[in-house]
Amino acid sequence: MTVFNSPRPTVPIPWHQLPNRRCSQLYRARGPGAHTLIVMRRVTVREVLRSAVRASFHLVTGAGLSVVCYLMIGLTLLAATATACVIGAGMLPETVRVLRGLAGFERRRVAAWLGTPVPERYLPLDQGSLLERVRAAGSDPGTYRDLRWLAAQLLYGLVLCYAAMVLWPLGLLVDGVWCGLARRPAVLLPRLSELATLEARISRQLLLPSPSARLSERIDQLAATRAGAVAAHGAELRRIERDLHDGAQAHLVALSMRLGLARRAYDQQPAAARTLLDAAQDQAEEALAELRHVVRGIHPPVLTDRGLVGAVRALAAGSGLEVSVAVQGLADGPEDGGRAPAAVEAAAYFVVAEGLTNAAKHSGADRATVELWREDGMLRVRVRDEGRGGADEGSGTGLLGVRRRVAALDGSVCLTSPSGGPTVVEVVLPCAW
Amino acid sequence: MRVVIAEDNALLREGLVLLLGSAGHEVAGVAATGPEVLPLLLEQRPDVAVLDVRLPPGFRDEGLRAALDARRKLPALPVLVLSQYVEETYAAELLGGGAHGVGYLLKDRVGRVDEFLEALERVAAGGTALDPEVVTELMSRSRGKGPLDSLTPREQEVLRLMAEGRDNATIAKALVITERSVHKHIGNVFAKLGLPPSDSGHRRVLAVLAYLKR
Repeated sequence: MTVFNSPRPTVPIPWHQLPNRRCSQLYRARGPGAHTLIVMRRVTVREVLRSAVRASFHLVTGAGLSVVCYLMIGLTLLAATATACVIGAGMLPETVRVLRGLAGFERRRVAAWLGTPVPERYLPLDQGSLLERVRAAGSDPGTYRDLRWLAAQLLYGLVLCYAAMVLWPLGLLVDGVWCGLARRPAVLLPRLSELATLEARISRQLLLPSPSARLSERIDQLAATRAGAVAAHGAELRRIERDLHDGAQAHLVALSMRLGLARRAYDQQPAAARTLLDAAQDQAEEALAELRHVVRGIHPPVLTDRGLVGAVRALAAGSGLEVSVAVQGLADGPEDGGRAPAAVEAAAYFVVAEGLTNAAKHSGADRATVELWREDGMLRVRVRDEGRGGADEGSGTGLLGVRRRVAALDGSVCLTSPSGGPTVVEVVLPCAW
Repeated sequence: MRVVIAEDNALLREGLVLLLGSAGHEVAGVAATGPEVLPLLLEQRPDVAVLDVRLPPGFRDEGLRAALDARRKLPALPVLVLSQYVEETYAAELLGGGAHGVGYLLKDRVGRVDEFLEALERVAAGGTALDPEVVTELMSRSRGKGPLDSLTPREQEVLRLMAEGRDNATIAKALVITERSVHKHIGNVFAKLGLPPSDSGHRRVLAVLAYLKR
């Protein structure tokens, strides 16, 4: 069994044990496969300054946003009173729309800084009569979360920006001596990044949808994937029926026809009967081939016999490419221990099959890698080729089928294929096992 | 006989052409999709049409629909519908316009070449050919409702063959008895089921089927 890309703890060497005691800093970097790796880097004065400037830019935009929030609070008060006096009720939905725009801007800003998206969830505001829209604007829990953020941003946006202003001259003085001259790690300027991260964290916390909104989003998602699962199942049944109807069944009818003709010809034209019997045998073989094809499409027998790993190795061997298969945490055989549920195995198998087929057909690459690993109750599958990339998901039905199959199991598919390669299909399949 | 075939599966189309040719029939035209069928029939006016139920573009019941349209436009045209599975409602729809020159058979029956050709000729001559499977389904549903159980096994066999659309001579041949005794059995069946005595042919088929469907 090959172990690949294991989240092997990389023990960082403390900076003062480095041969050259220059400014050093530990960075947490997101490595491939989202394994957190601790990467040791020496950071130069220039880099310290650059990240301090970036952080300051973030904090200054935050302060600017605070000023806009100040104005927005005024607008909100105006809209609220106007709505209370009935005459200006039309203002409320529009104001809430502006508020959402503002919160959306902050979500994107925070997402860019933290590197993780901040989900948003609102009731729709552009449907129904004015009264309905006012009611939607007023009853949406998202509106109140946005207002809470609005008031808070006014405070922490300014406070943190002022803190940054105080830190800059102090930092330039202290770190100029400490880092620039004494060649020690910077002390104060890196704190600016922490301030920016603190600001982003507070905003993120305030702007995340309420637990009930997240729950209802999850329910919507489950309902959609469930409907997808049912649809996929229906489509699968129709596909099997069609395959049997046009393939094996038709071949058997043709076979029976040939046999009937051969029997008719038997007495008078034995030579013709013989030809017909030959044709009948060919037909029987074709019918068997068709049946094998259908059976493989339902549940590949090799999965039953060899388990997922063996089946994937078989796929790799038959793909026409040079494929390296890396496996971690999975049983390498048909025994039951350590095997994923049958549906998950089948889905993973078809992911690999589709990925390798595409790599062989379209990528132009002559080698590919397949990785299967088990992590936190998930089965992860990654198929990667170093071909020309630019794979278009809309152009074929194969990946769509894979996507449906995976979604039906509440999993996710991620295809990245920049022009010039590489093409990577990564699939996560949740399975409690 | 001039025959028009509608079958989308090339393998089966070719097989049918071969089979009809070997029996000395002329294949006047071949259609591979639903919309081609009716124009072809109107143009060729064959002695009998052999249509597959499921045809492109929809792969549903285009062939059956074409058969129903054809019978509306050309009421005298005998139509034999083939299918890989039998559905009693399809049989009912086909027989809705009368049992004159109508056939509905499983594709499997084509393998029994002589029987298939006999059924085709029967339909072409204005008779009826209903697949034994449909008849079995009808008979099993009519069981336990009284009179059918009072028939002797032989009479039930006669009833089954009548429902398939066979005439007295072929019933006699199939059961290896004389036509006289077939006649006698039929008389008994009609009397036991309380049906008015009917001559041979499609009217008898309809009477029997109507009884079974009750």
